[in-house]
Amino acid sequence: MSVVLSLKPSYYEALKRLTLELAGIHLGDDHAFLVETRLSVLARQEGYQSLTQMIDDLFGQGQTRLAVKVVSSLLERDTHFNPDPNGMETIEHFLLPTLRNAAQSHEIRILSFACSSGQEPYSLAIQADKFLIEYPGMDITILGVDYPSPALKRAEEGKYTHFEVQRGLPIRDLITYFDRAGEDWIVKPVLKDFVRFKEFHLLSKLDSLGQFDLVLFRNSLPYYSSPAQIRVIRSLASVVRPEGFLMFGSKEDFPQVSYGFDVMEDYPHMLQKKPAEIIEPVEVTIPAPLVEYIPGQSA
Amino acid sequence: MRTCLVVDNSKMIRRVAGRILSELKFSTEEAENGQVALNHCRSKMPDAILVDWNMPVMDGLSFVKALRLETGGKKPIVLFCTAERDVIKIAEALDAGADEYIMKPFDSDIIASKLHQVGLLVS
Repeated sequence: MSVVLSLKPSYYEALKRLTLELAGIHLGDDHAFLVETRLSVLARQEGYQSLTQMIDDLFGQGQTRLAVKVVSSLLERDTHFNPDPNGMETIEHFLLPTLRNAAQSHEIRILSFACSSGQEPYSLAIQADKFLIEYPGMDITILGVDYPSPALKRAEEGKYTHFEVQRGLPIRDLITYFDRAGEDWIVKPVLKDFVRFKEFHLLSKLDSLGQFDLVLFRNSLPYYSSPAQIRVIRSLASVVRPEGFLMFGSKEDFPQVSYGFDVMEDYPHMLQKKPAEIIEPVEVTIPAPLVEYIPGQSA
Repeated sequence: MRTCLVVDNSKMIRRVAGRILSELKFSTEEAENGQVALNHCRSKMPDAILVDWNMPVMDGLSFVKALRLETGGKKPIVLFCTAERDVIKIAEALDAGADEYIMKPFDSDIIASKLHQVGLLVS
């Protein structure tokens, strides 16, 4: 069945350019229907009579605020609790014990980059809470960052549908760390205490966020253009503490960077930053071809 | 091929769950209540059981309690699949011996996610 779309092809091309310029992400060629569905919702929220009217305004008047909202809406991803189980196991069995032994200030700081609606930060918080039961006396904080978007607002609220809490979250964790809120489930304060969220443009310099023992950037990198990949990795490298870790998706190719990191043979999806005194100059090679971004699809 | 017994008094639910499980490469069999399921397990223990709570003759909770007392009854992975969402009810099901718990309505993503969690599916 063919679908009649209201968005002109030239507008679709313009939206692709806008997404690349603002976010460094390649929007796919064949997803006009998904794009139109998402933007139609945004147009209604913004009080427009039609999607075309909103797009006319966007490109006719060059509204920056609207441009950010449009791009954020297009880039919103469907995320799950405990995404990438292999990576979560690595965090539980290797990273948290290692960081605990290495921590000089009894503090472990974790950054969840491109956290969308917050399932990854809250999954980490569950691990942190269990870890602290076994090893009390540490302070673990988790910061989730992403573009300003409705997804990030949902993350802050910590409220999820009954479908969302059943994807990746074991039932025992659900009843331990969530309260029922009508048809939905809401994160308990004990979990929220671990987590903060912050709006952040992912191509911005991250220095203001401080330094982290572990930075997670999973299953997002392939969508970025090559120049944007370099910028993102360079930014991420700047916020990992010496001897801290940078983790990608466990099945993900990532640029062969030498931003002062060592490759970890036992954990190929992770890099460890060298000690402060032996960090070398930056070199980078970008490998893989770009992956097309499909709105709403998790990698 | 792994086997899963779907226990629900609704024929439609048994059919929908069976179709999803087939797509996940499970061989499925059906039972319309806990007593039929228990008899089935006595002759042929499946790898997994998807069981509703409220059913005539023998409900899901009674079935799981009885199953766990049977020889070999500790082995099958039991997933409750029910409209009951009360936290106390969920805890009761886990105490009775359920390994996981699915709240209706469900979809194929949820079933697959739960089967991953209990180690019956590998990505």
